[in-house]
Amino acid sequence: MPVVRTHSEAETIAFGRELAGTLPSRCAVLLIGNLGAGKTTLAKGIAEGLGAAPAEEVSSPTFTLIHQYSEKLFHIDLYRLDTIGEVRTLGLDEIFDREAVVLVEWGERFPELMPELSIEVHLRCSGEGEDREIEVIYPGSDSRV
Amino acid sequence: MRILGIESSCDETAAAVVENGERVLSSVVASQLDTHGKYGGVVPELASREHLRAVVPVVRAALEQARIRLEDLSAIAVTEGPGLVGSLLVGITYAKSLCFVSGVPLIAVNHVEGHIHAVILEARGRGEVIPFPTLALVVSGGHTHLFECRAPGQYRLLGKTRDDAAGEAFDKVAKLLGFGYPGGPVVDHLAPFGNPTAIRFTRAKMKGNTNDFSFSGLKTAVLRWVESRGMEQEIERRRELLRTNPRPAPEQWLEVTPAPTLDLLASFQRTVIEELLRHVARAAEQIAAASIIVSGGVACNSGLRQAASAVRLGVPVYFPTPGLSTDNAAMIAAAAFIHLERGDFSAMSLTARANLPLVT
Repeated sequence: MPVVRTHSEAETIAFGRELAGTLPSRCAVLLIGNLGAGKTTLAKGIAEGLGAAPAEEVSSPTFTLIHQYSEKLFHIDLYRLDTIGEVRTLGLDEIFDREAVVLVEWGERFPELMPELSIEVHLRCSGEGEDREIEVIYPGSDSRV
Repeated sequence: MRILGIESSCDETAAAVVENGERVLSSVVASQLDTHGKYGGVVPELASREHLRAVVPVVRAALEQARIRLEDLSAIAVTEGPGLVGSLLVGITYAKSLCFVSGVPLIAVNHVEGHIHAVILEARGRGEVIPFPTLALVVSGGHTHLFECRAPGQYRLLGKTRDDAAGEAFDKVAKLLGFGYPGGPVVDHLAPFGNPTAIRFTRAKMKGNTNDFSFSGLKTAVLRWVESRGMEQEIERRRELLRTNPRPAPEQWLEVTPAPTLDLLASFQRTVIEELLRHVARAAEQIAAASIIVSGGVACNSGLRQAASAVRLGVPVYFPTPGLSTDNAAMIAAAAFIHLERGDFSAMSLTARANLPLVT
């Protein structure tokens, strides 16, 4: 998939809805990008696309660590955890083993604990305002699809 | 009538005994226990394993301090949700076991309802009656919710955050500036040293429910401001300070925080507070509130407390004391009295509900 450019929050959500349709029913998706890059915004679109929750219901799981929107969608945020020991106590394996889409923010900081075949979604601010570049990288492909 | 409350929805393991919904006989929070004495080592109060370690000594301490035996309780109340399933389950399972061995009934409490009751509990303790309907703002690292509360136990959600919780915005801004995490309280301590009108951040425009909040855009605006000013050196100096001293005093922070950064903190804090109070004022008018309750960890913010009394919301505003603002179990026990009066007990099949909404 080439780099996608969105120009507003609404467009990022719309892209998330589209992306949701291409995701396997069981997968881990690492949402990678700086603060404010649009990770939670994209998660809103994916939740809508999967029919798991309306966009307004999806909020940041930074403090609560794990949000579950339905049997088929989990949204995890490891921002406030610093050590691998802390992350281990969350028992993420049990969630990755489910027949569900698992979105993980800041998961790339703990690669040992992420599933080997994770899909990566890189989000970057580009220019001023709400412009974003979004790139989806599927596992096992060095070249970006 | 005395109720034992147990709370384990997120980071804190807590237990408390409350009498008649108005007097706190004990309130124990694991992270505040003498960590070297009771069960050794520093406890990162995170997830089920830590709750599992803490729940027994914490409940024992709460019962001992209240000088009460299990059998003499009217009920045992426990947080059912929202929160982390694994963490909630520790409190729920232990509460059920205690009920089973003692024959005391079990009451399930919503964590957010607990925050509202922290304020009602303290008012009753002072002999004050909070006039209803009340508008409740529950604002913490994990929540930013506005509720209409027509009577104790009757709630209607008016609005909530669509992205970051207000407390989370404080913590993230503090972290990106090198003040560590969670640094919300540091921002509050330093904000009075800066000019709150130095930087004008644009207000989030809400489509749809105008009672909803959004703090993600403000967080991003602060990040852009920081990136555009090449502040790496001063941020690194603060990180260095944190490495040598995990809890610097405000004076130490001031030594490594130049005036423009203090202005940024002050302007950021003012923007969040104005956003919260603007919503509160409008919603209070909508529901013709006779009072306002502000609760949750961000209720500790001194800037918010001062502003809430200064902007003349037209009705009395109630805040909890700091100890009952952050997660605690006294609020869970207090909220349970309403359920006790109604005979609203839980079956032993009670289970954790991560997304439990507060609606009646």
